[in-house]
Amino acid sequence: MPEGDAVTGATIELDELTKRYGHSAQPAVDGVSMEIAAGETVILVGPSGCGKSTCLRMINRLIEPTSGRILINGEDVTGIDPVKLRRRIGYAIQSSGLFPHMTVAENIAQVPKMLGWSKSTVRDRVEQMLDLVGLDPREFHGRYPRQLSGGQQQRVGVARALAADPPVLLMDEPFGAVDPITRDHLQDELIRLQHELHKTIVFVTHDFDEAIKLGDRIAVLREQSHIAQFDTPEAILTNPADDFVSGFVGAGAALKRLNLTRVRDVGVVDVPTAAMDDPRETVVDRLREGTSNELLLLDRRGRPYKWLRTGDLALAKGSLARAGTPVTGHVSRDATLRDALEAVLTDSAGRVPVTGRRGEYVGVVDMETLMNSVHELLEADRMAAIEHRHDLEEMRAHHTQEQLEAGFGEGGR
Amino acid sequence: MSFWDFVGSRRQQLLMDTYQHASAVFQCMVVAAVIGIGIGMLTYRNERAGRLAIATTVTIMTIPSYALLGLLIPALGLGVPPTVTALVLYALLPIVRNAIVGLRGVDPSLVDAARGIGMSRAAQIARVELPVAWPTILTGIRVATQMLMGIAAIAAFASGPGLGNEIFAGISSLGSANSLNQVLAGTLGIVVLALLFDAALVLIGRLTTSRGIRA
Amino acid sequence: MTAGPGTEEAQPVTSALQSAPMPRKVTAKKLIVTPIVIVLALIGTYVWISNVSLDPIEKNSLSGALVRQALWQHIRLTAYSTFFVLVIAIPLGIALTRGGVRKASPVATAIANLGQSIPSIGLLALLTFWLGIGPRTALVGMVAYAVLPVLSNTMSGLRGIDPQLVDAARGIGMSGFGVLTKVELPLAVPLILAGVRNALVLNVGTGTLAGFVSGGGLGTLITNGIVTQRTRVLIVGSVLAVALALFVDWLASLAELQLTPRGLEES
Repeated sequence: MPEGDAVTGATIELDELTKRYGHSAQPAVDGVSMEIAAGETVILVGPSGCGKSTCLRMINRLIEPTSGRILINGEDVTGIDPVKLRRRIGYAIQSSGLFPHMTVAENIAQVPKMLGWSKSTVRDRVEQMLDLVGLDPREFHGRYPRQLSGGQQQRVGVARALAADPPVLLMDEPFGAVDPITRDHLQDELIRLQHELHKTIVFVTHDFDEAIKLGDRIAVLREQSHIAQFDTPEAILTNPADDFVSGFVGAGAALKRLNLTRVRDVGVVDVPTAAMDDPRETVVDRLREGTSNELLLLDRRGRPYKWLRTGDLALAKGSLARAGTPVTGHVSRDATLRDALEAVLTDSAGRVPVTGRRGEYVGVVDMETLMNSVHELLEADRMAAIEHRHDLEEMRAHHTQEQLEAGFGEGGR
Repeated sequence: MSFWDFVGSRRQQLLMDTYQHASAVFQCMVVAAVIGIGIGMLTYRNERAGRLAIATTVTIMTIPSYALLGLLIPALGLGVPPTVTALVLYALLPIVRNAIVGLRGVDPSLVDAARGIGMSRAAQIARVELPVAWPTILTGIRVATQMLMGIAAIAAFASGPGLGNEIFAGISSLGSANSLNQVLAGTLGIVVLALLFDAALVLIGRLTTSRGIRA
Repeated sequence: MTAGPGTEEAQPVTSALQSAPMPRKVTAKKLIVTPIVIVLALIGTYVWISNVSLDPIEKNSLSGALVRQALWQHIRLTAYSTFFVLVIAIPLGIALTRGGVRKASPVATAIANLGQSIPSIGLLALLTFWLGIGPRTALVGMVAYAVLPVLSNTMSGLRGIDPQLVDAARGIGMSGFGVLTKVELPLAVPLILAGVRNALVLNVGTGTLAGFVSGGGLGTLITNGIVTQRTRVLIVGSVLAVALALFVDWLASLAELQLTPRGLEES
């Protein structure tokens, strides 16, 4: 029922799922088998035309499989009424698919209404969902989709998909049509949501970076949805199964590795803090006690507000209100190390406050902590990859050989 | 008398009516195209003028053709003058509208490029804007022509020329041996003419549309 | 984000059947101006006719009872024919965009286009040989003529819907009927309404020809005027027909304003 707390997703099992159109010899999807644990986020990634969308759309039977079975929570749903099935599965698509003639609230209410929830339950649920995706219910309730930005539309799309609290959420390139910055935000939001809700999410994208960022596991698909590799992002990055996968991973694997670890997973350091209302003496004391000559002033809601240095107080003639430099950047605990690195590099003093869900202060990352974490990560990866190194080197040698030969061919110029 | 016998025996008269019908529609269409494209060119750059031009022509379209003829007869008498006026007026809407939409739809960067290489305003219109908007305008002319075929038939009651005379002759002699044949000959003649004109306009479109922008 | 089709202004006329492209955008000004113009024209005509001396033929043709009857017949013909047009064209349009029947829709469109090139007066005249003369024949002809634009608009309205929306609707668990009634039809409403408005205007126009098949209507006044060479009769008939057409169009624009789903209105 409509209660958002710690509902766990359902397991999904695809058993030799095949789709063949007409009498063509080549099936569009050829015998995909996959087991997805409850509460897991699985990304289907692959080049366009590899059948990843078809694969996804067979799970809620928007496309009827030619053969094979789909089991959700162990129940074979291949034969049940597809309309009823879809009401139990959340579905979000590219460019949101919001109905333009319905308000935001009506859009979100569609599935609960079809499930016969009472009017008041539906109304409460709509408010709750808007809250969940970070849109003010009072402001957005009565708006029409065309009055929203692309990112807001996408949020409403996710809210609609989650409205009936389905254990499973299918997402078909949901962030494909928004600009990169908004996409980044939406991805962070999804990660945050998933931390709260623990749904089983199957997510289709052609963007490998998105896959790394969001996925617990990634299925790299080649044509006809043959699974090239199905593993954690770390494993795929450090140990791609074959040329196809490594080609798809692309260059800069070390940098991409930074996308896999979040600020919450590495140590943050503490700096002395004080509240804005604290008396001057307390602030001065804390500054003196601290190891660094800096202190972070927090606003009334505990959010980072200003950096205060020892000298600042003297300059501002003792007035706390005027002293210090405002905090410009901050990263959330769900931000990736890459985001944190970006923020630290941009910050003039090379440190950035880390904030929690409501923007409250949690700690600080600086260059040093980041460097240490990255070194640790890469060391661990190196250890894990060491047994495969031999293979890789052999492959690379082979590759170099080829390049050398090709180089000779052109050498005459 | 069978239909084909009828057509054979009245060949001379039918050919005359067909020719007059075609000629009236063709001439009115040419006049309407010139006026319509002119109005389009004068108004497409101004939001309000364009809207006024379209609103006016839409209102004309709303008026029943028989009633418009009825209003024109006291001023212009019977025969050719009210027929031509009515036909031109009705043809305006699709042509004006498509001219405005077509000209407005020309990619501004094209016009900019034309200005950039030093074309005069007239050259911009003649060499860039009109050719690009031409397929849309021609579609408007096709729609107009099809409408005119039917309206010209009605104008025959106000002593206008063309195949409508056969239809009205048939109606007024209902029950006589040849009334059905007359109505049929008039109606089918108009349908055939409409199809021929449409085909001709499609052909003109093929020949006059730059291959670069042909769909 | 794609809204319903055909609501934006920048669309050319592509076929005599398609009426949505005509931007009969209802502005507040037009809402007030149109009825004022109509009323003024009617009053002017009335005052003029009352102040000139009419000869016996004119008196006869313009007797209050006769004019009222012609007007009433015309309104009835228009109302009935529009009703039948809606009942026939919209369900047919829906059917022709569903499942297997969809393959037949190019054929239907071709027939509709061909049918549109038959002159209305010729169609009415031909029908008399089958149905005899009278209002019924006029009605059949008007319906046959006006079904085409509504049918064509219904079909293109339904076809023009972003397939992603239908996909989303199915994806969140709407049944086929639910998708049709909750998503497809509301989104096609602007185009369907434009077609209906076009049909209404077309029906008033074809209605003026009903007199030729003894179907009554304001056309009889115009015809009388021409035949008896009485300009005043001619003008009264024409003015009434024009006023009726503009009035019906105005009413339809009100309906459009009312019935278009709010999310689809131009901002």
